[in-house]
Parts: sequence; C-alpha cells; structure tokens
Amino acid sequence: MHVPDGFLGPQTYLPAYGLAAAAWTVGLRRLRARLDAATLPRLAVVTATAFVLMMITVPLPGGTTVHVAGIGMLAVLFGVWNAFLSLSLVLLLQALMFGDGGVTALPVNALAMGLVGSLAAVGAHRLLRPLNRDAALFAAGWAGTVASATVMAGVLGLQPLLSRAPDGSPLFFPFGWKTTLPAVVLPHLVVGVADGVLALLAGRCLAPRPATAAPSRGPEAP
Amino acid sequence: MRDRALLLLYLGAIVAATFVHEPARLAAALAAVLLASGRRAPRVLARAARAAAPFAAAVSLGWLAASWWEQRPAGAALLRLNLRVLLMTCLTFALAARLDLQSALGFSRTLSFALVLTVSQVLTFRRLHADFRLALRSRSPRRASTAASLRHGAAAGAWFLRRAEHDAVEIAQALDARGFFLDRR
Repeated sequence: MHVPDGFLGPQTYLPAYGLAAAAWTVGLRRLRARLDAATLPRLAVVTATAFVLMMITVPLPGGTTVHVAGIGMLAVLFGVWNAFLSLSLVLLLQALMFGDGGVTALPVNALAMGLVGSLAAVGAHRLLRPLNRDAALFAAGWAGTVASATVMAGVLGLQPLLSRAPDGSPLFFPFGWKTTLPAVVLPHLVVGVADGVLALLAGRCLAPRPATAAPSRGPEAP
Repeated sequence: MRDRALLLLYLGAIVAATFVHEPARLAAALAAVLLASGRRAPRVLARAARAAAPFAAAVSLGWLAASWWEQRPAGAALLRLNLRVLLMTCLTFALAARLDLQSALGFSRTLSFALVLTVSQVLTFRRLHADFRLALRSRSPRRASTAASLRHGAAAGAWFLRRAEHDAVEIAQALDARGFFLDRR
C-alpha cells in the first residue's frame, strides 16, 4: 500500500512532515508517560511482527500477490498513538533497510496507515465491540486497511493537480482521483479481509497481559 | 556524530532530488551516485531497480497506455519519473547502507531502545521467514499451489504471532531483571 520515494512532490511531503512531526511528538510523550516493563518490549516485538507479516504475501488469482499491514492489529492491541509510532518505525526501517517505501513518502505513509488507519480501526472496534467481540476485531482490521488506502489514493490523486511541468506533463505521480480511487481502494477491500482475520487472530492471541507471566517454550515451526 | 551527519546528507540529497525536474540533470545525479558507490555500484543499481520496479512499472505502463489512448506524448514524463525514482532509491541503498541508524537516532533513549529491540527481532524474524519459505519450496516437488501457499501463509502468520507473544514476555522479564525500568519509575 505504501508509496515509494519519487511519486510525491515537496508540496505534499513537506507539510506532511510538519503534521507527522507534531503527531510523533505527541505519541512519544504519551509512550514515555506510560512506559512500563510490559509496554516497550511488547510494542517492539509486535512492530517486528508487523514488519515480517508485511513480507508474507497472499497469492491472488491472476498471478498477483497482496500482503497484510497489521494496522488494525496494532491499533486494537496498543491504541492509536502507539500503533502510529510502531507503524512509523516499520515504515522507517523498510525505507532505510530495504528501499521499500521511502523517506519523502514516510510522513504520508505514516499518517495514512499509522494515524488515519489506526483511528478508523479503533473507531470500528469501539462501535462494534458491544455487539460482538470477534466482529469488532475483524472490522477493526478491515476498516484500518481500507481507510488508509482511501487516504493514500486521495494523496496520490492530488499530485497532478499540485505539480505540472510547463508543457502540462505531470512532475510526480501522474494519475488523478478518477484512477487512483478505484485502483487503490478496490483491491484493499479484499486485502482488508486478510487484515481483519489477522486482527481477529491477534486480538485473541496477543491481548496485553502482565509481564510477570512465566515464558513458555517457543512455538513450534509450521 | 558521523552517522547523524550522514543521515542529514542523505535526507538533504533526497529532498534535493524532488526539486530537480530535467531528465538530464537527474541522469547526471544518478551517475554521480553510482560513481560514488564504487565497486558496489552494480549491486546498488540492481537492488534499487528490484525495489522500485513493481510500483514504478505499474505506474509507467498505466501512464503509457493512457497516453497512447489519448494520443499525447508520454516520453518526457516517464523518463523524469523513473529517473527520479531510481535516483532516490539508489541514494537510499548507497548512503543509508553505511548508516548506523541506532547511532543516528541516539538523541532519544526510548526511541533508540525501541529501535534496537525492533531491529533485532526483525532480523531474527526475517531469517525465520526465509527458512519457512525455503521449507515450503523444498517439500513441494512442483511450484506450490495457491491453496498450499495460503495454508503456509496462515500457518506462518499464526506462528509469528505466538512467537511474538513468547518473545515479548521473555524480553520484558530480561529488561526488568537487568533494572532497565528502575530509573524510569
């Protein structure tokens, strides 16, 4: 879902850095205020898990593949701000270690996936939790993915309006909303199902517990 | 200090690349980055091409088709877009590979600690993920079917979630035992 370097113009990523910097400051302050023996390791390990889960591709008919993002899982387990920090860290590592995504696209990716996605996930979870816990977890995963894809499609579609060469050709991402909204959002309606299942699994397996529980033997490999 | 300077240089170069729009200048900058990479240049270029190809190819082919349909020239825009993407990705692999991220982000103790924990887990999990992929390939006489790939993906995903739970408890206890949280209470 996340956009690589070179597709977003400075008119987009510079203001996005301003917004994201403010959000990162709030998130770090909240994390420091609530830091305890369980939070930091759990956040780091689940961040690493989200990183690796993004590497597990699910084949689609026609030879293409998709991967989950873990937005709903992180948001439900850790709340909006910690999920935002965690996904920002995943995106930073992916950008710098693997050239996947990029540092100019980082604030937009982080705001879309980490903040908007997490807000949508937590909102859907709170809305449905009184009715059915499992449905709420699934909806959180689905809503987080679809909301962030919609924001990404909006930002990408904005590029031809913001920057054009004197001859009228686009300087950065060339397609407008008519193309980006269906092209980005429709596949993520399906990817959201996989993220919903992931949030459901994680919500059942990884609900926060006290850090004093005795470590079990590691799980056996599949 | 060196890492922070390298990070700032990298960020400056990346931002500068988004303000250059002439294909010739972008190509010159790409050549300069590859020259500066020395013997690593072919590897940097190959890694950058592999990383940028999926998204850039999809956008380029789409733009090419749309331009052909509307009978307008697509060459300059395509060249500019792909050169810029390749330049920025090459910069990432050429400069960021020499960067010690932990040292560069050392201004925040919490951030650098979270980074160390996360990167160590990422490296372990990546190796395990590669092992699982190779295991599936080795036990599939032919290319694994879609159903087998789906089952494998689900089993690996569930395994990583259980492993994450196990590791989180273990790391928390190790940190607590070493007094990491004592000066924070």
